[in-house]
Amino acid sequence: MPELRKDPVVGRWVIVATERAARPKDFKHPAPAEQKVGECPFCRGKEEHTYEELYALRDDGNPSNWRVKVVRNKTPFLAPSGELWRKGKGLYDLINAVGAHEIVVETPEHIGSMADLDRDQIERVIYTYVQRIKQYKEDKHLKYMMIFKNSGWEAGGGRVLHTRSQVIGTPVNMKRVKEELENAKRYFDYHDRCLFCDVIRQERELNERVVSENKDMIAICPFASRFPYEVWIFPKRHSCDFYMVDDDERRSLAGILKDVLGRLKVLLNDPPYNYVIHTAPFRRNTHKKYWTTIEDDYHWHLEITPRLTKVAGFEWGTGFYICTTAPENAAKFLKEVEAGA
Amino acid sequence: MPELRKDPIVSRWVIVNTESPYTPSDYHVEEHAWKGEENCPFCSGHENQTPAEIEAIRDFPAAPNTPGWKVRTIPNKFPALRIEGDLDKRGDGVFDRLNGIGAHEVVIDSPHHFKGMADLSVDEIRMIVRAYRSRSLDLRRDRRFKYVLIFKNVGSPAGASLEHGHSQLIALPMVPKNVHEELMGTRKYHAYHERCIFCDIISQEKDSEEESRIVFENKDFLTICPLTSRFPFEVWILPKTHNHDFGLISDEEIGTLSSSIKEIVQRLNKIFKVPAYNYIIHTAPVNTESFEEYHWHIEIMPKLTRVAGFEWGSGFYLVPTPPEMAARYLREVKI
Repeated sequence: MPELRKDPVVGRWVIVATERAARPKDFKHPAPAEQKVGECPFCRGKEEHTYEELYALRDDGNPSNWRVKVVRNKTPFLAPSGELWRKGKGLYDLINAVGAHEIVVETPEHIGSMADLDRDQIERVIYTYVQRIKQYKEDKHLKYMMIFKNSGWEAGGGRVLHTRSQVIGTPVNMKRVKEELENAKRYFDYHDRCLFCDVIRQERELNERVVSENKDMIAICPFASRFPYEVWIFPKRHSCDFYMVDDDERRSLAGILKDVLGRLKVLLNDPPYNYVIHTAPFRRNTHKKYWTTIEDDYHWHLEITPRLTKVAGFEWGTGFYICTTAPENAAKFLKEVEAGA
Repeated sequence: MPELRKDPIVSRWVIVNTESPYTPSDYHVEEHAWKGEENCPFCSGHENQTPAEIEAIRDFPAAPNTPGWKVRTIPNKFPALRIEGDLDKRGDGVFDRLNGIGAHEVVIDSPHHFKGMADLSVDEIRMIVRAYRSRSLDLRRDRRFKYVLIFKNVGSPAGASLEHGHSQLIALPMVPKNVHEELMGTRKYHAYHERCIFCDIISQEKDSEEESRIVFENKDFLTICPLTSRFPFEVWILPKTHNHDFGLISDEEIGTLSSSIKEIVQRLNKIFKVPAYNYIIHTAPVNTESFEEYHWHIEIMPKLTRVAGFEWGSGFYLVPTPPEMAARYLREVKI
């Protein structure tokens, strides 16, 4: 069982996975060529000898007629079995890595980029995300569900170019998430307004960093982008939980996601990128006091970060990021480009 | 003037290049192609290709910007921050802005193009560390600066744009977020225990009855793979004597530190066939309240994996090799 360890200096948790311990020769430096289509373990027809299926969207009872499939990660960093334990070791705190680690296969076809899926298919993927969060909502060990995507080798996307995302459920609240929640709460305590609603209002008035907008969603290059061409997608309706999207919002999110990913693909020549859905943690009775205003103070959203520059000593040392393209310019370029078909 | 911006959500500052923004065609998603030695501005004899030197270590006196130097410090030709001007803090609705005042210098490690830290002698590295100390002490005389960051990027995957060995110094007008977090953590621990957390880590690692995370030690420094490594084969070099400020390092410690740096890079090179890496000197801020409970140290991060969406979103890191195992590999490899 992998282990979670907390850095006593800055309060950062790490997962130490003893089971999948890599030996030095396992690390490879150059980007490998794409695996041949016939070898892709995520394509339709490979169901029998690949991964354990956890969930699927199907048209009918035929097992191979799936549209979106969720499988268990073969070497998960967090595993659902067992009881949660916490212990101290000298000045360190440890917990075992109880949780969930799943792969969402976004299409049965061998398509490398989410931007090339049609809007209906992207909507099925989003529907699947929501179902996975609901699945774990009652699991008392889990505090947070993170949905994210690593697309392209430089973004950690692996060797197989078959578009997919990941779901990770953790038994602790993660540092970045906590910081964001605490800052949102502090802003709310002072202003009695949601910080994100204020950001959306200010960006719409200014209209300098808005990339695109539809009935329910707005995409902007954030004021303090860490990375060139970073884009955040916000729901216009205030809501702290991503899994509470209604049918219209789900459709609008699929539409704007396809639009933005299409623009990034055309403009930046199919860049590697990550996206992460930022949403509220599960609220358990034991922690009710802690999250008293979260429904008012937090606002779920999706952050897309293209990986065009390398993160180096300066960023690691300071937590500062050097962003080589101003978000105003990035938004302008993204607005002007024709999104792919 | 580039601009510093603070993210109102996580209080993270960023520097935005509003002055000469890149266009999409400035980015190449493909791997960086090496320039080769002929055009290297850091090589001896090419001094006129860099901005005028700030200081240089030489065996014999000579005119500045001429060959014969051992270590040479120059202003960065493409600085992330500019030295001229006053601090200008402004609000803009929910956002905060600050102009990009600071210093950005490059320490050219040696006149030799093809020598990394493992190939230089301990005496040559000693001169580099002396340059770090000298620049740290000089930059803090500017009262606008609150923090002097010293770091090194080696190899394209670690963000180095030139292959000729060099280090960088950045002086900042504020204490950066990651440093602040560390200082606050150290202070909180000290307030409760009346002990330094790093001193406690050193004694816990030395007394540990489980598999050791110590790679090696010498008179003044302990080299370990920290229990809470964020990256596989992450290594910390900790001074055994408590001291919050790298600028106060003694001449003797500069010698033992140089030998520790050389040895750990040799060991990493042997295992990974010369990997890309970053190292960062973590030290207390300057020209601000005193943080004597802090304990300066060096963190070395080989670039073996790509930090992906999950790490960015969560601040959680997935470490495929436990530090105990990494320490064992590093200890046992023959150099």
